[in-house]
Amino acid sequence: MTNGTITEEKNIANNSGKTVYPRHTEKIMKGNFAAAEAAKLCRSGFIPAYPITPQTTIVEELSAKVARGEMDAAYVNMDSEHSVFAAAMGAALAGERVFTATSGQGLFYAHEVLHAIAHFRLPIVICNVGRPSIPWNIWSDQSDSISQRDTGWVQIYGESSQEVLDSVIQSFIIAEELDLPVMVVLDAFYQSHTSENIWIPEQQLVDEFLPAKKSKGDEIDLESPKSIGGLVPPEHYEKFNYTYWQNINQVEELTNKVGKDFGKHFGREYKAVESFNINKNTKLVLVTMSSITTTARGVIKNHPDVGLLKLRLFKPFPKQSVLEALKELPDDAIIAPIERNFLGDNYGATIQELMRAFYNERNFKMYDFYTGLGGKDVPPLTIEKIIYKAKNNPKDVNWIDLEY
Amino acid sequence: MLEIRGHARGGQGMVTAFEILAKIFSKLGDFQVQSFPAFGVERTGAPIQAFLRVAKGDILNRSNIYEPNLIVVFDETLIDMVPVFDGLKGNGSVLLNTENDASKYSEYSSSIFTIPATKISLEKGLGSKSLPIVNAAMIGAIMRVLDADIEIAKKIVAENVPSKPEANADSSFVAYENVLGIDKINRTLIESFHKTEAEALTIDIEKIMSVEKHPDENMIFPSWSQPMSLNKTGNWRVLTPSYLTKEAPCSSNCPAGTDVRGFIDLASDKKFTEAFDLIYEHNPFPSICGRVCPHFCEQNCNRNSIDDALNIGAVERFLGDKNFEREVPKAEISQKEKIAVIGAGPAGLTTALRLVEKGYETTVFEALPQAGGMMRTGIPEFRLPSNVLDKEIENIEKRGVKVILNKKVAVKELENEFDAVVTSVGSHIGSSMRIENEELSIDGIKFLQNFKLNGDAQGIKKGEEIAIIGGGNTAIDVSRTALRLGAKPVVYYRRTHNEMPAISHEVEEAVKEGVKFEFLTAPVAMKKTDDGRIEVTIVKMELGEPDDSGRRRPVPIENSEYKITVDRVIKAIGQWFDDYAFEGKEVKPEQGKIDFEANVPIFCAGDMAWGGTVTEAIGSGNKAAEEVHAYLQSLPYSHEETMPEVVLPDKINFAYYLPSPRYNGDEHFPKDLYNDFSEVVSGLGDEDIVKETSRCLHCGECFSCGNCYNYCPDSAIHIDDHGRLRIDYDYCKGCGICVQECPCSAMEFKLSEVTND
Repeated sequence: MTNGTITEEKNIANNSGKTVYPRHTEKIMKGNFAAAEAAKLCRSGFIPAYPITPQTTIVEELSAKVARGEMDAAYVNMDSEHSVFAAAMGAALAGERVFTATSGQGLFYAHEVLHAIAHFRLPIVICNVGRPSIPWNIWSDQSDSISQRDTGWVQIYGESSQEVLDSVIQSFIIAEELDLPVMVVLDAFYQSHTSENIWIPEQQLVDEFLPAKKSKGDEIDLESPKSIGGLVPPEHYEKFNYTYWQNINQVEELTNKVGKDFGKHFGREYKAVESFNINKNTKLVLVTMSSITTTARGVIKNHPDVGLLKLRLFKPFPKQSVLEALKELPDDAIIAPIERNFLGDNYGATIQELMRAFYNERNFKMYDFYTGLGGKDVPPLTIEKIIYKAKNNPKDVNWIDLEY
Repeated sequence: MLEIRGHARGGQGMVTAFEILAKIFSKLGDFQVQSFPAFGVERTGAPIQAFLRVAKGDILNRSNIYEPNLIVVFDETLIDMVPVFDGLKGNGSVLLNTENDASKYSEYSSSIFTIPATKISLEKGLGSKSLPIVNAAMIGAIMRVLDADIEIAKKIVAENVPSKPEANADSSFVAYENVLGIDKINRTLIESFHKTEAEALTIDIEKIMSVEKHPDENMIFPSWSQPMSLNKTGNWRVLTPSYLTKEAPCSSNCPAGTDVRGFIDLASDKKFTEAFDLIYEHNPFPSICGRVCPHFCEQNCNRNSIDDALNIGAVERFLGDKNFEREVPKAEISQKEKIAVIGAGPAGLTTALRLVEKGYETTVFEALPQAGGMMRTGIPEFRLPSNVLDKEIENIEKRGVKVILNKKVAVKELENEFDAVVTSVGSHIGSSMRIENEELSIDGIKFLQNFKLNGDAQGIKKGEEIAIIGGGNTAIDVSRTALRLGAKPVVYYRRTHNEMPAISHEVEEAVKEGVKFEFLTAPVAMKKTDDGRIEVTIVKMELGEPDDSGRRRPVPIENSEYKITVDRVIKAIGQWFDDYAFEGKEVKPEQGKIDFEANVPIFCAGDMAWGGTVTEAIGSGNKAAEEVHAYLQSLPYSHEETMPEVVLPDKINFAYYLPSPRYNGDEHFPKDLYNDFSEVVSGLGDEDIVKETSRCLHCGECFSCGNCYNYCPDSAIHIDDHGRLRIDYDYCKGCGICVQECPCSAMEFKLSEVTND
């Protein structure tokens, strides 16, 4: 498999050496359908929906699952993403397990409500299929989700569609344990519309891992009306932020723990970050998120001195996991993040977060690489160019194919 | 690892085919698979690619396929449009959907297979000729090229197609069996399919980067001032929109052939002279037709579907009246042949005018002391004032038509002096009722003529009761004239109001004025009473089966007779032509050249041939002149007319038009009509005419509303230097929104290739 580390004893290899996961069915499925399948397996009870390319088939498939009676959920077609997230908020306040999905402009439009959901502490899980805004474009790009990084949502990026499915299951655990919303991000087309081998766990297996949502006792109750969301005076306001801060700081550790538990239960283990070929001899580390990681893993096979750091948890930024992954890396090594995001700043989001993580901790040479924006294909040749450029007189910030 | 790249157009279903292929390969062995599309900016019809990777182990590449082992082309028209063969591995293969010989592509690959997938799919009923669904056939052919198990493929195809599972599975199998070139199967390809690892990337990065150190000076950066400049989508078009002027129902229904939409448009721009000239090309009597025509144009006006038809009659009348005093140059006589026309009615005068304009010396012989035919004798003053008629005839004479009055002639008298004779004597002989004592009745058409020419009321006195028999225009005109002479007219008609041949607004006016109607009645006998009045026996009728005219035939009801006593009976049940011109010899009057023995060709036009309205007579005259000219010059002429596409209401986008009330001229209905022969309906003034013309929907002709310009999602429509809307076919991808949103059906959308001028 292309994802995570395989826990040996749980899995059996068939005659040809291929890993087979017990209590799973292998299917050829597109990423969007894997996301919908995950929402079903998590027994999401409320799905407000509004379609947008390239997310559309997620909500279409969920609608079909509800219509076919495969899912016991209330599915509501809303008039906009702003309404979708408002409805999600209401249902979560009433104690439902809520799932929805969006993309690009849809996420931008919901921006105001994203803040509200996070700071009302509502454990909603969504999938965002990354696409940019203007210039108008429907292809793969992480600018939409990353520009929402300060709304208070946890963000997890999946490298494969298997990872998306598995991450949605893990996200409900994280969300409901800390009362925080989680956004699982997948790449437009390279994941959303790509058919690939996906192992679907059986329902019982998921139920054993993710129990039904527990009542906290403070849900909306028609028998006991109350006011929610009133004006918070200055003397109390900070206290909300303080408790939020305490919980968001637990996310990284919990992500690693849930990922490990998931591995024990399903056979596929996950962490906040994953490293490949990073050791004391490594001279260059590429930093990637989502599907570019796979291509980069293929390319570094031919480069013994190049390592790869994959960020799975992006927000809150997993500082300790990153430092741990780079523990053996010499100080004179180069860090080269690949940015499939453009936020109107000199540096892309990945290097910004890494710099903050390294401050007072490590002092690597760091060069930023923009590529793959708006769905521009990132083939092995592009990764080769980044490796070459990072080693040969790089600029502080580099645009592959546009500047030399 | 096996890498396949597919080429098709958006909408053909290739992406689905590649998904199904991924499922098939996952069942052919323990393969990891990865299939995904690369869509362009545009969708239906645009070239797209789909990719499929198949490997025994992990697929460590999530990017497009640039160096495939196998290239599959679903649509061969793409070969000249996009570089489909790019990057094919040295030992790779190509599979083309074609019925043609593929050897011309041998420079791209030494291993080319072909499959007539479109033919196979259509034979299996998959898709249509314009959009065949070749997926299953292509899958079958791919199975053959890879020497893979077709039975598994058939099963998975059947499970995964949205419809017709058996036909699809069959189509896969037929294709599997019919791949051409399979005698030279590519073993290397089949081996790569079973290999675990991808072939190592062989890139000389040093070399690439040394080239790239020199930045491309010509790199194009997009600019929002020309947002589409990087994206010429014109060649992805399947259906092509274009501006096309179509026939409007007003114009196509005018018997005279008037370009109604055209003159309305000119009038709306206050180009009253140009508008008049346009009418005059077909109709030399606009002032008259504007008043007395049943307005076939208005009857078919698409505006009837919103509120009321455009008041085309009022516009025509306005334009005619406004141009009475224009300069009329005399036409130059350039032909040697001389032509005689018998009868100075609308048909005869129109024929003569057209012939004079064509250069023939033309003389019209009129039996009566005044020209105008039925316009003069049959249409009362209150509908058509004599000075209007005088003006229009005067202008025809100014053009060079010679009119000889008081000269009743026969064809024989003219055949030596003229080279052709056109007979257009009208229908001035009233038909007989064939009942007892019919001589007690007055003939309606004669009555109108006598009154019009001589002011002879023929004895009708104030307070008299008059029975008028018939339901046509003559009956109505008689009744309204009688009313003005102080009589109490009652019209007896054997059918109902719905079947009346009279112009409906004339009937409405008659009712408003006080004419009474007795429908479903017919006289069967008359006799003189002792006090000098007339007793008429009337039988009641009912409507039976439809007759040849399509109207229901009136049938007498047995024993329903009743008697009325009136002062006078005027019959107006039909008219026939006076055969004096043919000296009583039998002749079949019909449009154009007729069979009649004479030294010169004899033609026929007007009411005696067909029709019964002024406008029909004008149309008849126009055609007769064309035929005379064609005959004399030995030019081809045909009575056959091709019916153009007419814009009917279902082609109008009514949502784009607002309701707007019709401007009508004032109607003059005084309480006492006695001796009041003044015109009933007044004309409209300049401002009202402009407002009324603005109600035109412009059926079938672009009026630059700009909907296409506003709605075009590709900004492919622009306004050219002449202010015209034009489509830039470099960018039009054929979505059809412009056609859909055109309010007046002035565009067409069809399978054709158009390029920019």
